Parts: sequence; structure tokens; C-alpha cells
Amino acid sequence: MTLSIIDWLIMLVYFVFVLGIGFALKRYMRTSNDFFLAGRSIPAWVCGLAFISANLGAQEVIGMGASGAKYGINTSHFYWIGAVPAMIFVGIFMMPFYYGSKARSVPEFLRLRFDEKTRAINAFSFAIMTVLSSGISMYAMALLIQTLGLFHGIIPDQYIFHVSVFLSATIVLAYIFLGGLTSAIYNEVLQFFLIVAGFAPLVWVGLKNVGGWQGILHTLPSTMTHSWRGMAHANTNTLGVEWIGLSMGLGFVLSFGYWCTDFLVIQRAMAADSETSARKVPLIAAIPKMFFPFLVILPGLIAVSITPHVTSASSANTSSAVLGSPTTAILGTKAAEASAVPEAPGAPPHGIVPQKTDPLNGKPVLDSHGQPVYNYDLAIPVMLLHYFPTGILGLGLTALLASFMSGMAGNVTAFNTVWTYDIYQAYINKRATDAHYLWMGRMATIGGIVLSIAAAYAATSFNNIMDALQLVFSFVNAPLFATFLLGMFWKRTTGHGAFTGLLSGTVAALVHHGLTIPADTATGIHGGWITVLHRYPSDMAQNFWTAIFAFTTNLLVTVAVSLVTKPRPEHELVGLVYSLTPKPVETHLEWYQKPATLAFIVLGMLVVLNLVFA
Amino acid sequence: MGLDIRLPLGLIFLVIGGIMTVYGFVTRGSAIYERSLDVNLNLIWGLLMFLFGLTMYLVGRRQKWQDDPVNPRPWEREGGAPRH
Repeated sequence: MTLSIIDWLIMLVYFVFVLGIGFALKRYMRTSNDFFLAGRSIPAWVCGLAFISANLGAQEVIGMGASGAKYGINTSHFYWIGAVPAMIFVGIFMMPFYYGSKARSVPEFLRLRFDEKTRAINAFSFAIMTVLSSGISMYAMALLIQTLGLFHGIIPDQYIFHVSVFLSATIVLAYIFLGGLTSAIYNEVLQFFLIVAGFAPLVWVGLKNVGGWQGILHTLPSTMTHSWRGMAHANTNTLGVEWIGLSMGLGFVLSFGYWCTDFLVIQRAMAADSETSARKVPLIAAIPKMFFPFLVILPGLIAVSITPHVTSASSANTSSAVLGSPTTAILGTKAAEASAVPEAPGAPPHGIVPQKTDPLNGKPVLDSHGQPVYNYDLAIPVMLLHYFPTGILGLGLTALLASFMSGMAGNVTAFNTVWTYDIYQAYINKRATDAHYLWMGRMATIGGIVLSIAAAYAATSFNNIMDALQLVFSFVNAPLFATFLLGMFWKRTTGHGAFTGLLSGTVAALVHHGLTIPADTATGIHGGWITVLHRYPSDMAQNFWTAIFAFTTNLLVTVAVSLVTKPRPEHELVGLVYSLTPKPVETHLEWYQKPATLAFIVLGMLVVLNLVFA
Repeated sequence: MGLDIRLPLGLIFLVIGGIMTVYGFVTRGSAIYERSLDVNLNLIWGLLMFLFGLTMYLVGRRQKWQDDPVNPRPWEREGGAPRH
């Protein structure tokens, strides 16, 4: 692909601003409180946009576009059943405890509510997980830059991956090192608006091309264009999961587990300037979040809806015109070849999504039935190249890069805080000066970036090891929500109960994975490594049910152990448990300023969206 | 913090929107827009981005939060702490 000077200029402007914000904020970083908590001084709307932007990493943009292309509008369940209800819950019910307890991090809240060992298990697993996630984001970005041939002709092809990794690492390091959490939050707001600005025209032109939503309805099977149709049974929808597994596994356990307990996002709300603002943060975030399927999932549906008769003569040549480099020629030729491959009746539509090729020999990958496998991860990048002329193409690529960088930066800021407060201050150096902790935060930022780079390179050599590690972390995360739920809403819950419950939940997830397997997969990393007792229709169904088992086990074990161990005196739990904490005073607020009003509005919009696309 | 986010946000949209608008104006009627179904996306979208940036910048200039006497930031509330 050959980019023009205008495209490069737009990307350059973005990088100048990203670094400029870091430099502008440097002078305000005087205490560790400024660096790690943004001085608790950020307005709710800024934190709200950062709240969703920190999560808008590679998995979100590329992954959701890919899922949209593969499964259809069903993917919106991750938002409309998953994220948004959880965001309402955390805003209304949990934020008063996070913010009001004066805890500086989620692991620290666990120490205040339970004990040191519960904090330790959360702090260590979270720290490792953030570094790995940041590394994976970095790896995905470098791989995409290499695949698209962004630097082709500027840098020798064999160095593109390395340059991409080090360039992105240096930029993220610079702006967090200088401006701490504030810098990350400000840049996330910038990234949010750029992502919207970059993808909105893509959706508009794409929809215009395929005949609007009606055109998509005519082209794609109804299971891809209705989010609730066929959800009664796992075999009648594209996700391969039935409504109970979906609403309990994804809607309740996994989404609430992520949005209500993950410090990466909670940290943004904790930076708000008051408790009322902190409660509003997830609710404000929920509004754009519920419309994000139209920006990240819809392009996937459009990409698979583009059939030869809607593809104009000029755009049919996209591949050869835009993709000029050896690496990107792979994309182009395979996209062209794909249309020539005879398709099995009932095969899923692929539109302009290119075929997957083996990175070693460049040959197309075929599934067990001899049918071509499509690289749905390229749905959004291919859409950008297909529709965007020079100029706005630079903006689209900037939006894509911004999403990767916000994913990375979110993890790094969460890591440096947890490392400094919950590991270094808790176990290594308890009585240092504030200036020392500020210095340690900056060192942790460097350390986090270096470890992320190591993780990115580990992913290039040991792809399966990264998959395995991510799997292990999903086992650690799955039971987490039960611990917080009981901790905040049942005063009898004890530290021993929480600790034992967490461990039991993780073991339950591990055992469930070892005893079950998705259909059409071999035993091993996909499951069934103990013995196969049950086969799920899809890996998503297995994933959701693993979470349900882990959550239930944690809940039951925590309750059982708590009942036989000594609870903490009630006066120590004020501000940490719902029944012992005075309700937030809202008498000074007008009805429309209250978080509950906002929550009802968000809930109403959510119901409407679910009904419209049912 | 003492920096209103709307200022850099407004400025980046002004600059990028401005570049796209000028480029879109210079290249009107060009064959490059066949790709975007003959819509001059640079001109239209660039102009919209420019206007958004201008609004953000002007609002940010008018309502600097460090100058807000009704709602001082936490670091300003504590007696002798210097104002930024």
C-alpha cells in the first residue's frame, strides 16, 4: 500500500498531539496522587469517555469487526446484554464503595474489605495480566502494520515489525512517563473522538454502497441480522449458544466480572472529581458504548455484504490499486481468488474479507472440509482500504492506531499503579516518601513497557503459549465478580471465605475446561484434557459456561467458609458494605442530575435497541 | 488538572479537519473519489471535523475549569496550595 504525504501528515499530527499532552501535563505531576489518580480532579464526562476508550483496544475494534463479519449483529450482545447493564450496576451500586473507601486501587479495596492475602492474589494476577494484554495489543498492532505494508518502501520489510513495536512502545512510554494517568485519560478522550471520526464515515459510505440496513437484510441470512432470533437453542444461531448461557455467562458473570472489578476501567472512574461524578462515569460511558456496535460491528457486516453486484468497477480494483507491496499483495490476490473458489451451499458470506493464508508458505488455509478459511480480523482494515481515498485514509488508519495505543496505555497505567501501591508499597518498601513512590511509578511505567515488548515478542515465537496464558487468566477472572458481590452486599463475608472462594472458583473453571470441549475441535488447549464429559456447540458456549461454573463455585464456597469463620466487627466495614454505609447524599442535586435518573435513561435506550434489532 | 482537554481536542480536530478540507477542495472532481462512491469525503468530513474542533476549542477557551470560582478543583480547595 502506498500512502500519500497527506495520510502521513495526518498521522504525524496525531502523534505530535499525543506527545504534546504528555509534555503539557508534566508540570502538574508533583505527587504520587497526581500521577496515579490524576489528583482525583477530572470531570465526569472526561473520565466517562476514557472509561470506554481504555477498553477500545485491539480486541475491541479488530475483534468486534471480525465477529460482526463472522456472526453478524448477534455480536452486539457483548454490548447490549454484556457491557451496558454491568456499567449501570457499577455506577449505581459499586462506585460509592470504590470511591468512598478512599482505596487507591481495586486490590487495595480488597485489602480494606477482606485481608492481605485476598489483595495479594488479585494484585499479582492483575499485574501479570495487564503486561501480557499490553504486549498482545502491541503484537497485534505491529502485525497489522506489517500485513498492510504501511512502511513498505520506507523501511526494509524485515524490520517493519520491530520498528512498529518500538515506535508504539516509545510513544506510549513517553506520554505516560510524563503525565501519568491524566495523560493517559486525556489521550484516551482524543482517541475516542478520533475513532468515532475515523469510522463513522466508513459506515456511512459502506451502508450507502450496500443499500443501507435494508440491503444488508436482503443479502445476509436472518440469523446474522437479528440479535435475538434463534437464541432459544444453540444450534439455531450463529454464536452456538442458547439464551440462558448468553444472559448468565456473558451478560451476568463475564461482563459484570470485567466492568465491575477490572482496575483498568475502574481506575478511570476513581480519577473523577467527586463521588457523584465517579458514579456518573460508567453511566456516561454507557451511552456511547451502546452505540459502538454501529461503529465496530456494522463494518464487519458491511464487509461481508459486499457482493460482486454491489461492488462498483472502481472499487473492485481496490486490491490491486491500493495494495501494492509484496506482503499486501497477499491480501489483494487472496481477496480476488476468494471469489473464484467454489463455495459449498450454505457457506457463510465473506464479501471482501480476504482468505487466510499460511504465514510460512503463503498458501491459502483450508478447513477440515476443504473449504477456504477467511481472515475476518482484516474485515475493518480491508474496509478502510476499500472505501477511503487518500486523506481520509490517513484519518482511518490514525483511528486504528489510536485504538491500539489506548489499549496499551490503559494496561500500562493500571500496571504501574498496582505495582507501586499493591506490590511495591505493600511488600517491598512500606515507608518510603511520596516522592519515592512517584519515582517508582515512573520506573514501573518503563518496566511495564519493557515487559510488554517482551510479551509481544513471546507472542511471535510461542503463539500457543500466549493462548494458554490468556486461558489461565480467564480462569482467574471468571469467579472474581462473586467475591465483590458478596463482599459489598453481605456483611458476613470473611477474608478466609473470599480467598478460598476465589481459589475454588479458579479450580472449578480449570476442571470444567478439562472436562468439556467445543464441537469439531481436538482435545488440548480447547478443552477436554482430563476427559470429555460434554461437548458444547461452540467455543463461546464453553467459555460462557466455564464462567458460570466458576462464579457459582466461588459463591457457594465463599458463603460456606464465611459462615464457619469469624466475621469482622461491623464498625470496621462502614463504607465498604452496602447495609452498613450511609446512602450517598443527593439532596443538593436536581432530579435530572442524579445518577439514578441517568441510569434509567440508559436502561430505557438499551431496551429500545434490543427490541429494534431483535 | 490545569489543562482543559477541550483545547487540545479542539486543536487536533481543527488541524486534521483543516488539512482534509484543503486537500478535499484541491482534489474536487478527482478520480480518487471513485473509491468513496464519488463522494468527496475529504471535503465534507474535513469541514465537519473542523467545525467540531472550532466548537470544542472555543468552549474550552471560554470555560477554563481552573478559572471557575464556583467549583474549584480539589488542589485549589486546600488553603495555601498555589493556583495553577
